[in-house]
Amino acid sequence: MKVKHLEIPLNKRLTSLSSWLADKHQRLGLITSIDGSQLITLVLDPQQGSAQLWESPLSGDEYPSLTPLIPQCHWYERAVWDLFGLYPNGHPRLKQLLLHEVYDPHFHPLRTIARLPEIVSATQRKYEFLKVEGEGVYEVPVGPIHAGIIEPGHFRLSCLGEEILNLEIRLGYLHRGIEKQLSKIPWQKARFLAEAASSDTAAANALAHAQAMESLVQIQAPPKAQYLRSLSLELERIAMHIADLGGMAVDIGYLGMASTLARLRGSALRLADLLTGTRFQRGFILPGGVHKDPDKQLSTIRHETHKLKVSLEPVITLFVENSSAQERMETIGRVSPSLARDFGLVGIAGRASGIAYDTRQHFPQGIFPTHAPPVAVETKGDVSARIKVRITELFNSLALIETLLEEIPAGSVLSCVPDKLPANSIGVGIVEAFRGELIHLVFTGADKAISRYAIKDPSFNNWTGLSIAVRGNLLADFPICNKSFSLSYSGHDL
Amino acid sequence: MFKLLSYLISQGTATAQGFCPPLDDDCLGLPTLTSTSCMGTDCSACANICPTKAIQVLCQAEGSSVTLDRGACIGCSLCIETCPTGTIVKDLSTQTATTKRQDLVLSTTKLRDERPILSNQDRQYIFHKSLAVRVVSTGCSACDLEIGASGNPIFDMERFGVQIVASPRAADALLVTGPVGKGMQEALKRCWEAMSEPRLVIAVGTCSISGGVHKEGYADTNGLEPTLPVDVYIPGCPPHPWSIIYGIALAMKNTKL
Ligand code: SF4
Ligand code: SF4
Repeated sequence: MKVKHLEIPLNKRLTSLSSWLADKHQRLGLITSIDGSQLITLVLDPQQGSAQLWESPLSGDEYPSLTPLIPQCHWYERAVWDLFGLYPNGHPRLKQLLLHEVYDPHFHPLRTIARLPEIVSATQRKYEFLKVEGEGVYEVPVGPIHAGIIEPGHFRLSCLGEEILNLEIRLGYLHRGIEKQLSKIPWQKARFLAEAASSDTAAANALAHAQAMESLVQIQAPPKAQYLRSLSLELERIAMHIADLGGMAVDIGYLGMASTLARLRGSALRLADLLTGTRFQRGFILPGGVHKDPDKQLSTIRHETHKLKVSLEPVITLFVENSSAQERMETIGRVSPSLARDFGLVGIAGRASGIAYDTRQHFPQGIFPTHAPPVAVETKGDVSARIKVRITELFNSLALIETLLEEIPAGSVLSCVPDKLPANSIGVGIVEAFRGELIHLVFTGADKAISRYAIKDPSFNNWTGLSIAVRGNLLADFPICNKSFSLSYSGHDL
Repeated sequence: MFKLLSYLISQGTATAQGFCPPLDDDCLGLPTLTSTSCMGTDCSACANICPTKAIQVLCQAEGSSVTLDRGACIGCSLCIETCPTGTIVKDLSTQTATTKRQDLVLSTTKLRDERPILSNQDRQYIFHKSLAVRVVSTGCSACDLEIGASGNPIFDMERFGVQIVASPRAADALLVTGPVGKGMQEALKRCWEAMSEPRLVIAVGTCSISGGVHKEGYADTNGLEPTLPVDVYIPGCPPHPWSIIYGIALAMKNTKL
């Protein structure tokens, strides 16, 4: 995918972005920097399937924060502060996001230009939670280590009686410095790290990486590989949607359902195993195509996919028709369409609140220009809407896999990839991961090496959605709300 | 309720039979070394292609020798595909965990011992003990999902006496996934301190053994060992649920308990 590279002076950023977002179909892709001497704003036009990259040169370490007027900038500006030491002047709740107190306050890992001395004091890593005050308000701290088998993060719930007044989410525990490493290691080996950004999304991460690198070196994967990549991406979606539905069944105590879904997820993983050689499809998708040709397995995969579909149908019917399950999910954890838009929610969280955005439709790559499934939208924005979107997508993906297996062409699965990257170029990959819009953005420098590798996981947008959703809900409903968003900690923390 | 019950009954038993069988032929597994002689530093194809520097090819006076650190390997299979001499081959065994870090390092002069470390006698032993484990994740979530899958109806590790518990106070063993970056070291240490003795620590996945793909970053992502003492190492990125169950079974043999 090609992006239009424009220079937008710092004092025009606010007006440019506000008017871009005034068209409610247009989106903010991400905000970051390359080395600390500029701000990069990637904006997307899903209607046209096009993207623009705005570069705003900086003369110092400060810039006016856009958050007061465009709230979805809030986490990006925090991340840029941590990673580059650029101070967003006027940010209403500036605190660290990724680098905890254990890091030196002057350490900004992605900044490669020298630092101006006067701003140093502004950088404080001390973290303070928002205090909700008033009679009877108490706090429930949860994490970073949770009770179940799940990634770490801290939730600070301020409650009055049983009602949640505010949820503050503190992440960053899993910060592993992936973006920096991706610009240090040889790019031919980078794919293994790129997909470990969040390995429940390994196929989507590998695909976004491959697309970004392919757009840099201007090659395309052969048709057969395009089919296999989509198979892989949809299998991942199926396995994870089943896992998430199962997780919700656990949270409402519907255990027979949960164990059945765990078993069926096992069948989906078996399909992934057949296609790629591992259950998480690690190392399968790569720049230029895919790693191996699973020709011999395709008929088994077709057969097993059909079996999975037939087994899933009655189970899902039992799930949605169970009235006590329904009552636990309707009207709970609501995010209104306007807030979903203001905070740029993506994927299931966005679509359950009426945002008809699915990058398979809007930024179609590979086989999707002709095969993108319809966008599954709901409007209520509650837990039950998110479940409905998931279920529709699950069956859409199963149907898509059957079509792909019918049509898959013969031929090679890997194109020749040049061994040099072009100098001063930009590559971008946008993929609909099972959680939503996933972006990989790559810059190369004059030395033909990767100078900056940025990843925007869908959870980066959606964590705020969870905070919005639980307000005014019962504390006991927090787990089911959380699960309905199915957020990634590792993809966020990188 | 009745509908679900009758459905469940109609589905029969899903649980896999046997104990830690090898993976299917089409899986990638982990690499292992054979005694077939290798072209040494003239080739080095495997060492050059390995994304995690898990392989070293050394030229020795009497022929060459290769060392393969399965604790650094992510099982991408590239070395197996590149090796022209068949020195590196695929190993589909799920019985890959070890109790010593150096046992994960194979070399053409010290091949992997094919005898299972757990004998049939040990299997009985497994059924006589129970182990409560607490999971702490510091990684990419694939290892965590595979630990979760070890408890699903297919692998069902509870039948071997392994129970996942929510509190470190109730745990005999701590299962740690991921490379243990700076952000998690303090929390992890505190979790371990909250466990009563005797306590074991199990490193699940290549990251927690050596840092894996994350090794050498600024976030100190070099694995679990610098933070806590490790009793069992389960390689794989992520390890298969059977490999995890095997590793936990190894921990149950530990005489500390
Ligand atoms: S299989 Fe393991 S040792 Fe071989 S190249 Fe891949 S990571 Fe390296
Ligand atoms: S070992 Fe592999 S799967 Fe496990 S946490 Fe590390 S990167 Fe993820």
